[in-house]
Amino acid sequence: MLAAAIEVRNLNKRYRNGTWANRDITLTVERGELLAILGPNGAGKTTLVRQITTELVPSSGEVRVFGLDAVSRPNEAKALMGVIPQETNFYWGLSVRHHLRILGKLRGLPAKTASRRAAELISDLGLDEHKDKPAEQLSGGLRRRLLVGIAVLADPALLVLDEPSVGLDPESRRDLWDLLRDYRRRGATVLLTTHSMEEAEALSDRVGIIHDGALLALDTIANLRAAHGFDFKISYLAGGRTQVLYGASDTELLQQVQSLGVREYAVSRTTLEDVYLGLTNGQGRLNERPTTDA
Amino acid sequence: MPEPSDSGPDLPVRPFAAGGFLKFIADTVSVFELNFLPALKLWYVTILLAAAFPLPWFYVTRAIAPDDPQVLRRLLTGTLVFGVAFSIGTIVGQTFVGQRFSGTLRLLITMPVSKGAYFLGSLAHASISGALTVPILLAFALVAGVDINLEWGLAPALLLTVLAVSGLTLFVVSFAPSMQAGNLLTGVLSLILAALSPVYFTMDQAPLLMKLIGYISPLRYAADAIEKSLSGRADVWAEMAVLSAIAFVALSLGLWRMPWREK
Repeated sequence: MLAAAIEVRNLNKRYRNGTWANRDITLTVERGELLAILGPNGAGKTTLVRQITTELVPSSGEVRVFGLDAVSRPNEAKALMGVIPQETNFYWGLSVRHHLRILGKLRGLPAKTASRRAAELISDLGLDEHKDKPAEQLSGGLRRRLLVGIAVLADPALLVLDEPSVGLDPESRRDLWDLLRDYRRRGATVLLTTHSMEEAEALSDRVGIIHDGALLALDTIANLRAAHGFDFKISYLAGGRTQVLYGASDTELLQQVQSLGVREYAVSRTTLEDVYLGLTNGQGRLNERPTTDA
Repeated sequence: MPEPSDSGPDLPVRPFAAGGFLKFIADTVSVFELNFLPALKLWYVTILLAAAFPLPWFYVTRAIAPDDPQVLRRLLTGTLVFGVAFSIGTIVGQTFVGQRFSGTLRLLITMPVSKGAYFLGSLAHASISGALTVPILLAFALVAGVDINLEWGLAPALLLTVLAVSGLTLFVVSFAPSMQAGNLLTGVLSLILAALSPVYFTMDQAPLLMKLIGYISPLRYAADAIEKSLSGRADVWAEMAVLSAIAFVALSLGLWRMPWREK
């Protein structure tokens, strides 16, 4: 049996100041799957990713990449994945072309292959007119494109992206999504973290929701919605606050708001955001969520 | 240990050479390139840095020193050691602190690159200015009438000095909590190490504080070995042995403390 692309078992990370950034996280990312990890700021998403990419040594637990122990054999594990870190910077004064060519060699490509691959990526990523510019002079969207290029230099079977669309305008974000979809079509496995429900819904096969360092849920979006217990919601203003009622059917909800004397309301299907908010507001399991207050 | 295997026809799970000596050498060269190519645009700064401090300093000391060949050789020795150590310490410190706190280092940490290759590649680049100082200063000294009879010990003594100073710098700047603090530490360390080690005179002539520092400073042993090498003497084994030991300890400490995988 082939090993999963990523296997994380009972992963814990405790920083020296006593903060638990990750608590007992267990997850598997199957080959060819796109898993999105959702969570608020400070939830522990980046810590999880940095342990998978071997930048951070776990306090305890296991991380395997295609069956390789990433904790004890980091260089071999890193050779199998392309990474887009959340915060990074380019070599000052070094051109786009040289970044791709030299980092390609560091990825293990022979010199000629690295030059050829750099040229291919410059064209594929629409960086032709910027190829000789120092990388630090690129706009935010173009910098992200270059980072994607660096991550896919050696055509890795696994891409790990930490909030790849942060700071991107809508057009650049769509371009990035298209790139990721195209890469997936070629068989790559992708793990990404995001704040964006839209991104998670648009791209992912499964979603993991992380909060306070713990993985609260991990499933397909359809299953997460089903676990929420309600298919519909109705939102209305009362006392200056948005109130939300959840129900199995829209007619049942309409009767409820009308009995409350509410005249203006909006009915919609429950979304991933409702699932996410239900989990991260501290109510624990989804079905225990109260039926008011968004 | 299970070996990775194919995931599909398009994107096979192929472990590119992740280790081995050849990959280490190739990575060292690539890291050097990453630093060197942008610096090429500022080639004049490198040459200026190599000459701007040592040449005037040698000129001033030459003007006030007695016209004794042995004293002049020691002045040349002192300026060589001071210039190389100061330039290496400053550039190594600024490179590592800058790349760590600006986020550039993360670009490499996520690559299958070893810490040693990153260090050596960056050090090779940082050494360019120091390496230029040597021929410039020797040529200037010959013109200024210093009697030089070169022996084999000069190059290895300078190389060991570079390794020892860079290891110490790496160790000290690893404690820096910010880029500003790191640059300050770099400057202070380079200055203290270069200015308080007995490099312009021998241990016998040094005041007590310098003597104490001289017992453990790599620059004192480097200066003694280089002075002998400039005087045509090859009996530098003792100095080389101590310098090698200090370089080994300093490099081990520096590489051990160098931030790479965070704990």
